[in-house]
Amino acid sequence: MNRYKIMVIEDDPVIQGELRALLEGNGYVTAGAEDFSSVIETVKKEKPHLILLDIKLPGESGFTLCSKIRIFSDAPIIFVTGCSTDMDELNSIMLGGDAFITKPYNSAILLAKTASLLKRAYPAQQAGQMAYGGAVLHLEASVLEYEGRRTDLTRNEQKILYYLFKNAGNICSRPDITEFLWDNQLYVDDNALSVNINRIREKLAAIGLKNFIKTKHRQGYTL
Amino acid sequence: MNKSLYWKNRLAFLLTNFVCMLALTLFLIICGNTVSSIALILILWGFILAIGMGSTYWKRKRQMQVLLTMADQLSERYLISEIMELPEQAEDQVYYQLIKMAGKSMLEQIGSVRRERLEYKEYIEQWIHEIKTPITAMKLLCENRRSEFTKEFLTELEKTNHFTEQALYYARSEYTEKDYSVREICLSDVIHQAIADNKYLLLRNNMKVTISNVDHTVFSDDKWVRFILNQLIVNAVKYRTEHPELAFNVRRQGDQVMLYVEDNGIGIEACDLPRIFEKGFTGQNGRTTQNSTGIGLYLCKRLCDKIGIGISADSCKTGTTLCLTFRINHFVHEVQD
Repeated sequence: MNRYKIMVIEDDPVIQGELRALLEGNGYVTAGAEDFSSVIETVKKEKPHLILLDIKLPGESGFTLCSKIRIFSDAPIIFVTGCSTDMDELNSIMLGGDAFITKPYNSAILLAKTASLLKRAYPAQQAGQMAYGGAVLHLEASVLEYEGRRTDLTRNEQKILYYLFKNAGNICSRPDITEFLWDNQLYVDDNALSVNINRIREKLAAIGLKNFIKTKHRQGYTL
Repeated sequence: MNKSLYWKNRLAFLLTNFVCMLALTLFLIICGNTVSSIALILILWGFILAIGMGSTYWKRKRQMQVLLTMADQLSERYLISEIMELPEQAEDQVYYQLIKMAGKSMLEQIGSVRRERLEYKEYIEQWIHEIKTPITAMKLLCENRRSEFTKEFLTELEKTNHFTEQALYYARSEYTEKDYSVREICLSDVIHQAIADNKYLLLRNNMKVTISNVDHTVFSDDKWVRFILNQLIVNAVKYRTEHPELAFNVRRQGDQVMLYVEDNGIGIEACDLPRIFEKGFTGQNGRTTQNSTGIGLYLCKRLCDKIGIGISADSCKTGTTLCLTFRINHFVHEVQD
């Protein structure tokens, strides 16, 4: 799979480091800007697919950089800032920014925005399906397929399976799954999670997948 | 103008006149005038004196009345010195000068206080800008190292962020200039954002969140509404019961869109209910729980008033419902004009 490169232009070294760690943990390649006098050259050299740009920077502000980057690149630009005024937001749109996120950003929202902007800017690169142990999860159609048999999934079930597939082989704790669902705007509580897991198991059994999701006592679930 | 005091002030002048009358009468008697001619002179004197003093009194009274009504009609009374005319009388002119001086120094004081307040507000906004950087760094540090500890830490960070936001919006609500921009916003987006802002707080407290029928658009400022919702969520967590539930639900009625935020918490006593939006009011719940400040809902109300959202609360033993009312037509017309 072609991995996207994201450039983080942020003057706080801790935030830059952690942001890159977060993005790399989610399957992106990252690049950073160390020398703020030659950001433009770095962008030209790195050719990122997407840029995260702070507004308050030493030397040139994020707005100036944005208009300069726009001269030679169409890569989506997400502005990140501490205290947003309406003028800032307007400026960012006028100068060609694609999104505007205020600190402290919710990492789930940041990742979701990143993913959707990349999807819009570089369409049709992902197949939209995941496979594990012979079972195939079709994300777009929300269907699970095993040996030619298919079963439809609700949104909750699809997201739970997506999380388990993504972390296949590792144990996913119940709080982690719940948190992932909350990040996807599905506010499921502990009881509802059990109900959903049971329903998924029934559906899996119906297409011949038995004991696909294993329970680790007091730890969580795993594929 | 006090009538009796006015005449008391004129007593010395009247006495002088009386003494002069006596002296004149004595002199005229000694000169051998008849009683009738003396009486005529005295009556004439008294008559002229009465007319003179009466008309002066009437004129002064009218002047004073004009000044009083003028001051009464002013919204900023201290500006009276700017619009009153220069009086004719010598003593009045001294008072006029005094008032002018007082007014000028007052204006200077007000100006400097305003300037200081503005500077302080700018400082607060800048400070909040600065504090967001370390908060963001801490949040990212925690999210990249997930454990039971970081989750607790993130809950505390959410609270920290909420308090800084509260300071920011307090500063903004104090100031009369417009710090918001009204545009078309989708209520479900704002609600999801507000829940995301309090994710760890809600998860840690096992809050059951339900959202129904929220796909409505209204005209408002999303950041302000998000802050108000954050405050309501924090309150719902603060005053929760054993199995806490929180429901968001929107109803449209004519040109009004009502957003109901309903919890099953401890509720608000009926006697406290009318006063919950007052500054510093904590009520019965404030006495039983420790950390009521009486700021949160007060601030919500202020922001709502500024941006034109109606806010009302209803409560019983089994929970509280806060209702935000957005008017659609009202703003649409203003935007389109």
